[in-house]
Amino acid sequence: MTDKFTPEKQNLVSYSLMGPESGGPCLVDSNQNRITRIRPYFYDRDYTDKHCRPWKIEARGQTFVPPDRVTITPLGLGYKSRVYSANRVKYPLKRVDWDPKGERNPQNRGKSKYVRISWDEAAQICADELVRMKETYGPEAVLCESDMHGEGKRVAPSHGCPNRLLALMGGYTLQMRNMDSWEGWYWGAKHVWGCEPVGEMAPNANLYPDIAKNSDMLLFWGCDPETTPLGVVSHMPSRLCYWFTDLGIESVYVCPDLNYGAAVHADKWIPILPNTDAALQLAIAYIWLTEGTYDKEYIATHAYGFEEFEAYVMGGEDGVPKTPQWASEKCGVKPWTIKALARHWATQTTSILHGNGGCFIRGPYATEPARLEVMLLGMQGLGRPGVHQGKMIEWNMWVRDYPVPYQGEFVPKVPQICDCLRAVDGDLPDDIDMRRYDLNDYQKEKAPELVELFKKFPAPKQFIPRCIVHRAITEGQAEWYGLHCFSSSQQPGPDGSRKPTNIYQFDKIVYPRPGCSRVHMIWTDSPCNVTCWNNGNLFADAYRDPSIETVIAQHPWLENDCYFADLILPVATKHEMSDLCNDLSSGVYQSVYITEPCCPPVGESLTDFDVCVKVCEKLGPEYVRAYTGNGLTEADRVRFFYAASGCEDHMDWDEFYQRKIFVVPVKEDAQEVPAGLKGFHDDPAANPLSTPTGLLEYSSTDIAKYMPDDPERPPVPHWIEKSESHDERLSSERAKKYPLLCMSNHGRWRMHAQCDDIIWNREVETMKIRAWDGYQYEPMWIHPQTAAERGIKHHDIVKIYNERGIVLCAAYVTERLIPGVVYVDHGSRLDPIVPGYLDRGGCINCITPTSMTSKNSTGMAVSGFLVECEKVTDEEYREWSTKYAEAWNRPLDPDGGVCLAGWLTDPAMDEDPTNGIRCLKDKEGIPLPAVQTPWSSVDWRTGE
Amino acid sequence: MAKVFVIDVARCSGCHNCQLACKDEHCGNDWRPYAAPQPPTGQFWCKVTDHPRGTIPKVKIHYIPVLCNHCADAPCIAAAENGAVYRREDGLVVIDPEKAAGQKAIAEACPYGAVYWNEELALPQKCTGCAHLLDHGSAVPRCVEACPTDAMKFGEEEDLKDLLADAVVLHEEYGTGPRVYYRNIPGCFLGGLVYDPAEEEVVIGAKVILTRADGTTLETETDAFGDFWFKELPEETVSVTIRAEGFTEKTFGGLNTAECPNLGDVALERE
Repeated sequence: MTDKFTPEKQNLVSYSLMGPESGGPCLVDSNQNRITRIRPYFYDRDYTDKHCRPWKIEARGQTFVPPDRVTITPLGLGYKSRVYSANRVKYPLKRVDWDPKGERNPQNRGKSKYVRISWDEAAQICADELVRMKETYGPEAVLCESDMHGEGKRVAPSHGCPNRLLALMGGYTLQMRNMDSWEGWYWGAKHVWGCEPVGEMAPNANLYPDIAKNSDMLLFWGCDPETTPLGVVSHMPSRLCYWFTDLGIESVYVCPDLNYGAAVHADKWIPILPNTDAALQLAIAYIWLTEGTYDKEYIATHAYGFEEFEAYVMGGEDGVPKTPQWASEKCGVKPWTIKALARHWATQTTSILHGNGGCFIRGPYATEPARLEVMLLGMQGLGRPGVHQGKMIEWNMWVRDYPVPYQGEFVPKVPQICDCLRAVDGDLPDDIDMRRYDLNDYQKEKAPELVELFKKFPAPKQFIPRCIVHRAITEGQAEWYGLHCFSSSQQPGPDGSRKPTNIYQFDKIVYPRPGCSRVHMIWTDSPCNVTCWNNGNLFADAYRDPSIETVIAQHPWLENDCYFADLILPVATKHEMSDLCNDLSSGVYQSVYITEPCCPPVGESLTDFDVCVKVCEKLGPEYVRAYTGNGLTEADRVRFFYAASGCEDHMDWDEFYQRKIFVVPVKEDAQEVPAGLKGFHDDPAANPLSTPTGLLEYSSTDIAKYMPDDPERPPVPHWIEKSESHDERLSSERAKKYPLLCMSNHGRWRMHAQCDDIIWNREVETMKIRAWDGYQYEPMWIHPQTAAERGIKHHDIVKIYNERGIVLCAAYVTERLIPGVVYVDHGSRLDPIVPGYLDRGGCINCITPTSMTSKNSTGMAVSGFLVECEKVTDEEYREWSTKYAEAWNRPLDPDGGVCLAGWLTDPAMDEDPTNGIRCLKDKEGIPLPAVQTPWSSVDWRTGE
Repeated sequence: MAKVFVIDVARCSGCHNCQLACKDEHCGNDWRPYAAPQPPTGQFWCKVTDHPRGTIPKVKIHYIPVLCNHCADAPCIAAAENGAVYRREDGLVVIDPEKAAGQKAIAEACPYGAVYWNEELALPQKCTGCAHLLDHGSAVPRCVEACPTDAMKFGEEEDLKDLLADAVVLHEEYGTGPRVYYRNIPGCFLGGLVYDPAEEEVVIGAKVILTRADGTTLETETDAFGDFWFKELPEETVSVTIRAEGFTEKTFGGLNTAECPNLGDVALERE
């Protein structure tokens, strides 16, 4: 017998949950075909010291060195519970009252349960439906929802596999991802400073060394470095924040909540009402203008349209000077604190840091605070040492000039099958696309076997931005401006610059396109529109729309949009497959590493790639051949992806296979690249921005030219109290009924909708709160004063509501939130009691605004909106639990929440509902919990 | 051979990695003879406790990971029959899952509540220091390895003595000789902001004098935001006087530092 203390297998696995990209390697031990543990990977110091040029940052007499390991995150550490989660989809499921040959009952999506079917039957239904759609309506009748966050997998990616299948069918309608992490930057800030591709400061080389040496103050503006980076980067931002404090740099947090970063790093917390940052920013500009404390020389040479901006701030345009008193009424920050911040900032070398997230950049009219931020940085000499906009997340994102000096001497080009991020429009030039997902000439030469696999399919003819998919379906038509492709992320040219894309924001696009059908079928591999996008309740309506005949989901877990699917195909996690990973984001070294299966697939699950191959088999051998690039297996793809990566020039396959990892040596002169926008600062004529004037545009020439009369995004950024798209301010008539502002951010204990089922994370109070009825509710943060006004106590079950629906949570009463506000992390899994109206799972996006960022800015607004909240009364609880007894009493995993057994017509069909995670004790598993009887006031713990 | 844990509270971000790594290692994994499986949820052999203090916006949080103290004079060893709890040569205190079956007294003996009672197995259970891993090649327990900020360390007492110089143990008064040490557990604080309501300006450089229970004083000045802070205060009742040229002085008495008082935005009237 093997020694149980010695792992039989050890594998490197990435816990980046960003989607196509991989994160840092973590070490997974397995014994007897089960995962034993997940731990950090330690670099081999003997090797890296000798071969990899370890980097360090030196500043103010101190040295920052990266750790000797990947700083694993809570999401990685708990992931075993996710692999063996009670809501894994184990076999193909069909909705019990959906008959593809008869009655389809679209109205019952989100309500009716599932039966197990065979893979053979499932694949046949998929193939038949695709053929039927094509013949009846044309291929564009199938909407492919397949973008972004998910497990970081490359040879069988979480997103994009169905696109290849649908392309083989002759085309499809693409759900185009909107700039969901960058709404305001993309639609707003881009018009001030260009900064391709998404409108955040670029280039961003060597920001952190420069900040360490030169900055006096850091403004963490709606930024939580202890939260948002966890699913993407690791804990490196945390280590940097501690170091900045050690260096004596002042950390000031401006946000409605004392977020997890502020809780441990802030020297000063300035609480502000959600989505009112523009008022504060305008008042800061007002102080600088009236007191002359801005860099006038810089503005004279680097800015365009400054007079118009000045006129608006000083009240010349609307008769309202944007004074601290004016701003204070909007944003809740006292006038004296606004003035103090403005004056302190004017004397301190200051950078602003972000980490994506909800409370600054994803609200209604997010273009305005985004633009104003850039303008304020400009007034203090943007690009001079220590004056930058920095990011604590996505350090790898645009694969050039890293903010920390750890980039490799070359960037490995691990190919990626990813057809979901692409431009769709015949009028766009070829280079406006995610070209990095094609093979380049080098890769074709090194791995000719891959050429067939990467043969580019024609672009889909029709697309719909994700933030208006629900309206497009329910209304049968839609029109919008300028979202042709994911972030216009064309490959940088040889000099690193990118082609300006601002003007494509002014193209008007319609759905349905001439010659294309409207959508009648949905195929999703990213089933989280209800959880993560705008107005999830309208998405629930769209999925149940009678025009939608078929919904197919492929996903490892039964969650969120899956409940609206007619057919659910089980997908294996990254632990159950082989892969080649490319770490560009852990912050220590770049590396390429190999993953092999840590355990067999759970149930009958297959990789996303193989799910589609199954369907191809039903369509015919030519489909299989085309889909697999002439029969490449998973192992083939791993091998040839390595050949194409460029690493084989440095480490041959045999050595790589034995070591499992190739660590890229750090670029010798990495720290010599000028920091941030230094070039523009030093010589704007020689290093222009990609705006039309090449300058910082305080009044946008493009907007003035193409949309001069847009009151929601005028050429000069404005404070917008209310307008056509949104009426979500405390001054609104609506606020009489819904007097609280709701903010939402990314959670610390999950990544968007991912990892909500990790039973150990759910024991943390800010992840889930077990209320008196035994149900683990999503916490809703509320200040003691706001709670007391409503008779709400800590851990009470509460309802948050507005016209768009009701979401249930449990109160987390805390001094960590400004009064008058409630805060719920987005991404809690849906538990629909009345689909489209009442959710018990705490999925706050159900009731976020429907409208886009603004009428011509095709983004979503998911934070800073009006709600009311109340304690759920006994009467109400009784009414819901009896009236909707079937939904209310769906079996739940007491530790993990919603689960597979809850959605099976016969829960006993799930023979081992907890996948054995409940320990080794016996084969009976845990009895299915009947957490609630229709009405019970018995405390689940005490029995009283 | 005597290992200790040293935890720097000032470097703990509250990420809970230590708590989660412990569960990953012990829930559903059977490491007998070192430890029987920990139940899937509900036990915390390593538990991160959070300590939010103060009121908006003068709020601070620190986190203290709590685990078995592997006491030099361990009450659980004394309470055990048949030598069911033993100290290893490296100092770790381990419950033998065979011999300890049915001995609830072992769980009840721990004044720190670090020993859990597993109803199902009728077994007292707790942190083993991941002795099963240490005996099979690991240098440190899972919690220490998982700490992303290196706030948690484990090693020979001799090797860590620099860190131990200013370290404390939890509840020293229990007299059990804990082997888990903590550094930088913050003391109480008191803060506020001073402004001039007539001008709607913060007052920078105002003198703030804190008078302690014994009559001695501490002094500070308001900063660029008009803020003042006193940190690392013991628990006691104090008073605070705020003084700025041209303003009438203000005094606040009867302030209990244990509550980390925030005087809020203090308006100073002009003389």
